[in-house]
Amino acid sequence: MPRTKAHPGTRVLDAVASLKLTIACLVCLMVLVVACTLAQVRMGTLGAVTAYIRSAVVWWHLPGMGLRLPVFPGGLTVGVVLLINLIVAQGRRLEASWRKSGLWLVHAGLILLFVGEFISGARQVEMQLPIEEGQTVAFLESPRDLELAITDVTDPARDQVHGIPEALLSHENLIAVPGTPLSIKVSRYYQNADLSRRADADPISLATAGVGTSLAVRELPPVSRDDERDLRAVFIEPIAAGKSYGTWLVSNGLGAPQTFIDEGRTYTLSLRQRREYLPYSLTLKKFSHDIYPGTDIPKNFSSLVHLSNPARGEERDVLISMNQPLRYAGKAFYQASFGKNDTLSILQVVENPGWLLPYISCVLVAAGLVLHFALSLGRSLRRRQPALIPAGA
Amino acid sequence: MKLIKVIPWGIALLAMVASAATLLPQGKVRGFDLDGFAALPVLEGGRIKPLDSLARNSLLVIRSQQSFQDLGRTLGADEWLLDLLFRPEVSDAQLSFVINDPDVLGLLGLRQTSNRYFSFKGMEPFLPELERQATAAQAVEAQARTRFEQAIANLFERLVLFRRVAETKAAGASPEQWTRVGRAWASQDAPAFNAAVADLAADERTQRPETVQAAWREMLFNRAQPFYVGMIIYVLALLTLFASWMGKPALLQRTALMLLCAGALVHTAGLAARILLQGRPPVTNLYSSAIFIGWAAVLVGIVLERIYRRGFGTAVAAASGFASLIVAHHLASDGDTMEMMRAVLDSNFWLATHVVTVTIGYSGAFLAGALGLGYTAWRHLARHPDPATGKTLASMAYGVICFALFFSFVGTVLGGIWADQSWGRFWGWDPKENGALLIVLWNATILHSRWGGFVREKGLMAMAIFGNVITSLSWFGVNMLGVGLHSYGFMDSAFFALSFFIGSQIVAMLLCLAPRRLQFRHQPVAL
Repeated sequence: MPRTKAHPGTRVLDAVASLKLTIACLVCLMVLVVACTLAQVRMGTLGAVTAYIRSAVVWWHLPGMGLRLPVFPGGLTVGVVLLINLIVAQGRRLEASWRKSGLWLVHAGLILLFVGEFISGARQVEMQLPIEEGQTVAFLESPRDLELAITDVTDPARDQVHGIPEALLSHENLIAVPGTPLSIKVSRYYQNADLSRRADADPISLATAGVGTSLAVRELPPVSRDDERDLRAVFIEPIAAGKSYGTWLVSNGLGAPQTFIDEGRTYTLSLRQRREYLPYSLTLKKFSHDIYPGTDIPKNFSSLVHLSNPARGEERDVLISMNQPLRYAGKAFYQASFGKNDTLSILQVVENPGWLLPYISCVLVAAGLVLHFALSLGRSLRRRQPALIPAGA
Repeated sequence: MKLIKVIPWGIALLAMVASAATLLPQGKVRGFDLDGFAALPVLEGGRIKPLDSLARNSLLVIRSQQSFQDLGRTLGADEWLLDLLFRPEVSDAQLSFVINDPDVLGLLGLRQTSNRYFSFKGMEPFLPELERQATAAQAVEAQARTRFEQAIANLFERLVLFRRVAETKAAGASPEQWTRVGRAWASQDAPAFNAAVADLAADERTQRPETVQAAWREMLFNRAQPFYVGMIIYVLALLTLFASWMGKPALLQRTALMLLCAGALVHTAGLAARILLQGRPPVTNLYSSAIFIGWAAVLVGIVLERIYRRGFGTAVAAASGFASLIVAHHLASDGDTMEMMRAVLDSNFWLATHVVTVTIGYSGAFLAGALGLGYTAWRHLARHPDPATGKTLASMAYGVICFALFFSFVGTVLGGIWADQSWGRFWGWDPKENGALLIVLWNATILHSRWGGFVREKGLMAMAIFGNVITSLSWFGVNMLGVGLHSYGFMDSAFFALSFFIGSQIVAMLLCLAPRRLQFRHQPVAL
C-alpha cells in the first residue's frame, strides 16, 4: 500500500473504512449494551434504552449539581459510525470477487438490519387497544403519553374532541384550543403525584372548581419501573374572552370528566391516555384464556374480533392469538394482556414501516456467512490435505 | 497391532452395554412390585406422567436427592412416595427435608451441624411460626428477598409440596382401587399390594392404553438416567486422554475418542428420548439448554478430532460435555424438567428454530473458550511446546468461533423475528436479547481482530476465553438480573457459582497472555 503518497482525502477515507474503527465500534457497542442492561434494573427498559442506546451521547449527571458531563458515545453515534464504516469499507477495502461474495452478502444484510433499526427507532408507534367482550372500539390508546381532552358535548348526537398533547402542558403556560374560543392556562404541573382526600391540616388546594377543591396533591418522584405508571396531576384554568372558569385539577387518576359551560356550550375536561382514532372498528366477540389441566399455567390466549371497515366494505371475523397477530392497514394487532375476569382483552397495536427489513437481513446474513465459511473451509481443507496424512496414519 | 483397533472398540462397547443395563427392570424390592406402582400414570403440573416422575421430582425439590439412607437401607423415591401416601406416621419421621440456612435452623431451635436433614415431625411444633415468617417473606418480591426470606419461603413451599403430594391419586384410579393399594402398603402385605397394583394397571391399560404406555416410557427414561451415565463416560474419556499424554498415545487416544463417542451416543439417546416424551424441540428451559449445549459441543468436538486428530478435540469435547451435564444436573433440582410451556413459549416452530440455533451458538462459544483454556494449559505445562500444536489449536478455535458467530447471529435475529410475531417489536433491548447480542458482537470482534492481524495466536485464544465470560453471563446472568420478559428462572445460589466461574476465566485469560518463562508447573490451571 503506497501510504506515503496518499492524498489527505484518501487517508481520511481509509481511516473511515479501517478495520480498527470497526473493532472500536463493536467494543463500544458491547460496553453500551452491558451498561444498558444493568441500568434497566434502576431505570426501567425504556429509560435505559433512551439513555444509552437511542442517544447520541451518554451523559453522567453529577450528583448534587445540575451539571452533566459527556462520558461515552451513545448508541446512536456508534451505530451511525459503524454504518458509515461498513458502507465505505464495502467500497474501499472489500474486493469484488467470488472469494469475498459471502462477506458482501453479510455486510449488505447488516446494513439493512441497521437501517431497519433506525426506522423502528424513529417511526415505530406502539399503542394499545383495551376492549371488553361485546364492546366496539374505533380508537387506540397510547400506553404512556397522556392528553388533555376538552370535549364539546353540547350536541347529544356528536361529541367534538379537542386533544392537547401532554408535552404542551408541561412546557407552556397558555395554550389556545383550536376551533374553540377557549385557552388553557397551566398553573401547576406534577409529573407524578399522590392524590388523597384533603384533610383540615392540608394547605388550601390550588383548585377553585371541580373535584380538585377537595383533594390534596403531594408531589412524588417519577417512577422508573416498567410495570409502574406515573400519576399525573395538572392544575389548569380554562379562559374564554378574558373570562376565567376557575382552576381545575385534572389527573389520569380521576375517573369521571368534569364539566363547565361557556356561552351555552358544555365542555368536559379530562386527562386521559392519548388516543388515535381509526377509520375502522373492532368488536370483541370472545376472549379465551386456556390453561393446562389441573394447573394455572396459561396455555393460550386468544381474542376473536370482528373487523368492520365501511369505507372498504370489509366485514369479517379475525382470531388474534399468541404468536398470531392481525396485520391490517399498516398496523399489527397482538394479543398482549387481559383482565376483568377474562372479559377484557388488551391488544398491543404496533405500526412499524420497517418491520420487514430484519426478515430480509436475516436471510442475507445467514446465506452470506454460510457461503463465506464454506469457501474458506474448502480452501483450508485443500491446504491441509497433504499435511493430514502423516498425522492421521 | 490388531489390539490397537480392538481394545478401543471393546471398551466403548462395554460402556454402552453398562449404560443399557440401567434399563433392565429392578425386580421386586422386599417382594413389592415397585416398578408396577411407579409406572402408574398421574396428572400433575398439567401433564400425564408416571408416579415415578412425581416421586423423583418431589424428593429432588424437598431433599435435593432422588434417594436417601433411611433406617440402614437406601430408600428410593418410589418407596418414599408410597410411605408419604399411605403410611404418614412412617413418612413424617423420615428425614425428607434438607435445610442449609442457619437462620432457618435457628428458627427451629437448631444449631448448624453436619446433619442437614430433618423430618416433618421434627418441624411440626414450629409450623405456625414457619407459616407466619414465610407469609411475610412471600409478600416481598422474589428478587428483593433477603437470604433468610428466600430460604424460609423456599422451605415453606417445600412443606406445602410435601402435603400436596400426599394427596396424590393415580389418574383414572377409583377411590376403592386406590384405598386397596394403600391398605396393602400400610400393612406391608406384598402379595396384596402387587395384586392391587396389577389390577389397577390392567384396568387403566384397557381404558387408556396410550396414557399407560407414555407413563411407562417416561419411567424407563427416569431409570436409565442417560445424562448421569453420559457424564460418567465423558469423565472416563477425559481421564483416558490425560493418560495418553503420559504413554501409549496411539492406543489411549483412540480409546478416549471411542469412549467420547459412546458418551455422545448415550447423551443423544437421552436427548432424543426427551424430545419424544415431551413432543417438543430439545430446548424448552434452562435445564434442557444445558444438556443441549453440551451435546452440540461434543458433536463439534468429535468433528474437530476427525479433522485435526492429536486428541485436542476429544479433550475439549469430553470436558465441555461433562461440564454442561454437571450444570444440568444442578439445574434439575427445580422440579419437573419437562414442565408445560407457558402460552408465549408454546410454539414448536420457534422453539425448534430460534432456541435451538441460539443454543448451538452458545455451545460454539463455550467450545472455543474450552480450546482457549486447553491452549493456555498446554502452553504453560507442556515440556517442549512445538509451534505446530499452538497453530493447530488456534485454527481449531478460529473455526469454532466462525461456527458460533453464524449460529448466534442467526439465532438472535430469529429471536427478534419471534418477538415481532408475538409481541410486536423486533428488538426491545430486553436483557436476554442483549446477552445474545453481546455474544454476536464479541465473536464478530474476535474475527475482525484476527482478519486485521491485530491479534495472533495468544490474543485469539485469550479472546476466546473471554467469550466464556460473555456467554455464561448471557446464559445465566440475565436470569439473575430478574428483569425483562425472558426471566424464566431466578436462581439464588447459582450467583456465586457464576462469579467464581467468571473470576477463574479472567485468571485463565491473564495466564494465556503471560509469557511462558513463568513456569506454573505446580499450579495446574483450572479447566
